[in-house]
Amino acid sequence: MNDRLPGPALRVNPEKTIHFSYRGRPMQGVAGDTVATALYASGVRIFSRSFKYHRARGLYSLDGQSSTCMMEIDGIPNIKAEITSLREGMAVRPQNVLGSPQRDLLAVAQWLDWAMPPGFYYKLFHKPWFLWPIFSKMIRRAAGLGRLNEEGHPGNFENLFLNCDVCIVGGGPAGLQAALAVAELDLRVVLLETRSHLGGFYDWRVVRSAWGQPFWARGRELENTVVQHPAIRVFKQTHLTGIFADNLLSAVQTGQPGEVFDERYMEIRAGSVVVATGSAERPLVFENNDRPGIMQCGCAHRLARTYGLLPGNRAVLSVGHDLMLEAAIDLADMGLEIAVVADARSTGQDESLVDALAQRNIPLLKGWLAAEARGKKGVKRVLLTNRMREESRLFQCDLLIASAGRAPVLDPLLMTRTRFELDRQTGFMLPVQLPSRLYAAGRMLGWDDAQAIEDSGRLAGLKAAADCGFALSDFIKPLEKSLQGRFQFRARQMMSRAPGPGHKSFICFDEDVSVADIHRVVAEGFDSVELCKRYSTAGMGPSQSGIPGQNLPLALAECRGHTLESLRPAKVRSPLRPTLLGTLAGKHYQLVKQTPLRKIQQQLGASFVRAGQWERVQYFGNDPTAREEIANVHANVGLMDVSTLGKFRIVGKDALAVLQRMYVSDLSRLIPGQLKYSAMCNEDGCLIDDGMITCRGGDDYYFTTTSARARDTMEWFGYHSRFEDWDYHIVNLTDGWGAVSLAGPAARQVLSRVVKDDVGNDFYSKGYVETQLKNGIAVRLLRVGFVADQGWEIHAPASATAAVWNALWDAGQDFGIQPFGLEAQNVLRLERGHIIIGEDTELRTTLLDLGLGFLWDRNKKGFKTVGVAALHQTENQPDRMKLIGFKMNDPSQTPPGGAIIVDTQVRGYVTSVRYSQALKQSIGLALVEAPLARDGTLLEIFIGGPDRRRLGAKVQRGPFY
Amino acid sequence: MSATITCPICGRRSIYEFRFGGENRGPRPFDDQATAQQWYAYVHLRTNAAGPQQEWWYHRDGCGTWFTTWRDVTLDCEVEAKEGKNE
Repeated sequence: MNDRLPGPALRVNPEKTIHFSYRGRPMQGVAGDTVATALYASGVRIFSRSFKYHRARGLYSLDGQSSTCMMEIDGIPNIKAEITSLREGMAVRPQNVLGSPQRDLLAVAQWLDWAMPPGFYYKLFHKPWFLWPIFSKMIRRAAGLGRLNEEGHPGNFENLFLNCDVCIVGGGPAGLQAALAVAELDLRVVLLETRSHLGGFYDWRVVRSAWGQPFWARGRELENTVVQHPAIRVFKQTHLTGIFADNLLSAVQTGQPGEVFDERYMEIRAGSVVVATGSAERPLVFENNDRPGIMQCGCAHRLARTYGLLPGNRAVLSVGHDLMLEAAIDLADMGLEIAVVADARSTGQDESLVDALAQRNIPLLKGWLAAEARGKKGVKRVLLTNRMREESRLFQCDLLIASAGRAPVLDPLLMTRTRFELDRQTGFMLPVQLPSRLYAAGRMLGWDDAQAIEDSGRLAGLKAAADCGFALSDFIKPLEKSLQGRFQFRARQMMSRAPGPGHKSFICFDEDVSVADIHRVVAEGFDSVELCKRYSTAGMGPSQSGIPGQNLPLALAECRGHTLESLRPAKVRSPLRPTLLGTLAGKHYQLVKQTPLRKIQQQLGASFVRAGQWERVQYFGNDPTAREEIANVHANVGLMDVSTLGKFRIVGKDALAVLQRMYVSDLSRLIPGQLKYSAMCNEDGCLIDDGMITCRGGDDYYFTTTSARARDTMEWFGYHSRFEDWDYHIVNLTDGWGAVSLAGPAARQVLSRVVKDDVGNDFYSKGYVETQLKNGIAVRLLRVGFVADQGWEIHAPASATAAVWNALWDAGQDFGIQPFGLEAQNVLRLERGHIIIGEDTELRTTLLDLGLGFLWDRNKKGFKTVGVAALHQTENQPDRMKLIGFKMNDPSQTPPGGAIIVDTQVRGYVTSVRYSQALKQSIGLALVEAPLARDGTLLEIFIGGPDRRRLGAKVQRGPFY
Repeated sequence: MSATITCPICGRRSIYEFRFGGENRGPRPFDDQATAQQWYAYVHLRTNAAGPQQEWWYHRDGCGTWFTTWRDVTLDCEVEAKEGKNE
């Protein structure tokens, strides 16, 4: 199977065998093969069965232009075998077949085509209505493509986000020259190429070029220069999926063997874009044009030259371009028997090519084309006719190389605001007006001459570079001029088929839409390109405009008797290539921050929980309700990791002004050693953050925020001072500093054992102390009563936090020190009536609603404090929700968090609730309507579920413990 | 969404690195007390000009600077500052 024809332009290494399986059977390919070429080399000719009629389909384009090459590879359906590199151990399976592609039991569908016109399922099966579900199930089984992998999406996926000065789409001669022109100016270039190698249509041609060497060698030379250029990043097997506003491009790259990803999503932000996507073959439409053994000319030529595979034994060619005559000569020289070459053009062929065919005794029929292929599972005979179908001849063959001519690949430009016009000389739809910073180059502009193609690439590159600020008109103008003189006339060939009804002449392989279907659709009134496309579904399959896009507008014009000038290409949309959902999802990163005390706490048996960006300790040991931890804080002393608290230093002449704007309290009288609890509101007056603020002396302040708010604090401070010319610096110490909370009746004794200073009453009367531990660690002590009367936060640099913990731990052994986690903290603070922002607050609860109005300093003036205006306005609104504490009437009943409070209607809901061991009582916080907020009010809490009932509770303002 | 935003410190970067801070309407027009109308206009009303507008952006995944830039909302891309408009 690995016998490959020798040749200079091969892209495979026949020495290196690659093993894979097809339908569970072991097969072999060689390094450099795609799945499709390896299968072709192994004798597989029927690749798939079509969507609707289950017709046999085979290798057609090598560029993945239609669904005919879709297979299930390594458990992922709908992978295009033509553009997927073969990897060791791949498991390849055909899809949409009942049995095998050779003997597909659903192939009966092709005899029922008369019953299946476009939209038949809507027309036929909707009456009677109760049968539709049954029909729907049958149709879904028979139609459709791959089988979804229900266990998940195997594969490795990645994202890549790039910036560059110029992005070049297409790595053919024009694209390569454009890339070099830009990169020579030291601008950064990103080049995208869908194939696995660069060089475009040079890559497999062995004829001599104008530069003296054969085209393939010229291509390799350009490829090497580009790949080695430090300013050019080349992405092969990368399919452009969209062009968006401001030159944002999206693309999908398929992983090559050895790459760590299977597919990756890319976004490229480019200053300018050069589109050099070249031209593709316009499919020739004739009866049974989809039979296995019928392929495009480039496909046959590349099979031979790039992969070393002779595509058949005896070939008939029906072509429409000089490149294809060149291919016929080359294939004949490689040993393919060519029965006849039909050229749809009556005149205009390159005479030297005509002579070369004659020398090889290959008959050339000018003005002839294929009208019908015969043979069911592979082509056996071909009927050739002249253009008007007055004469015909039948030829035996096992390979039909069919192509109507060439047409530009417009997909990328069709997504932009480019205006197109049909060019009579080339027969191409040419871009006549492009948006700024977007250029087209190469064969898509109608150039045929290699030198002109390269020059037009260079020209586009220079123009794109000029957009980036280079004065290049001295280079651009002469190049433009020299190109003007070089337009070569090529006989244009717009015809795509010989006359005939076209029942099995397929315009769209993906959706099995034939010429006759288009006629039927037009007869039903869907006569514009967009309507026809939607109703017939031609071009709505996985390949979008790939194959049907070329001929659908032509078929429509023919059907309606319109001139070709009225042609409009059908719209295309992103993604231009089918993209795996896994690729769009990208890699699933679980980015999480860990505190410096993680290891210590792990050894103490901590259970961690994800809290925002952090992993924090929920509880220690086996009790999720943390009863012992709580009891220990009540009775002795507890230690908790609070490193996740936001910690900030703000310093500078205007630091106080900034704080005065953000915090509702007046901080102007804050003296060193004093610690103040305060809160921040948004412009709605709603509480967004609370924390401790202290002055370290002079203009130097230190403050804490809640863990959740730490990330946004810098942004918030910057936003609200953006119009001020304030002189201050703010430093986020959240990750750089760790913190532990020491709380409980024995906290003071523990602290006195570790702190270096003399610790008299004076020391403990201060709210904030900067000192050292006996082991020399500099710490900041904050007196905080969140969970206990006697409580301190000890802040220290992250690298020293573990040492601080250990020092406290050792000193606390005599006092029964134990660690505690979030669950214990939650109960302890609830007992003391303290709120947690985000749990007991909403985005509509103001400072006043939460009972924190005492923090608001109304006498503070002139700082435009955020939220104060709203506080003034909402202060006397009667219909606000208020946060209250409540005790359950039945002490043992604990309603679930979020339970609603009702009388005849919903009056509020429970925000936090816990059973307190210390109080032998369930306690909680709730947001209720103002009339229910008075102390002593009786509440009814509704419990849903199977035993629905109401529990009684009583409002209690103030701390419980 | 336009593709890039130019940070005065870090240069042209992907828009995903930034946070949008709204159109530039100048500093808050009131001190600590405001009428309901004033407050409503400041917090909720926007010009929504079709065309170039000056906007605030924050380089969140970068240097952390708040800055203004001009963007044409109909073209979805940054544009030169419009003459005669507020700085």
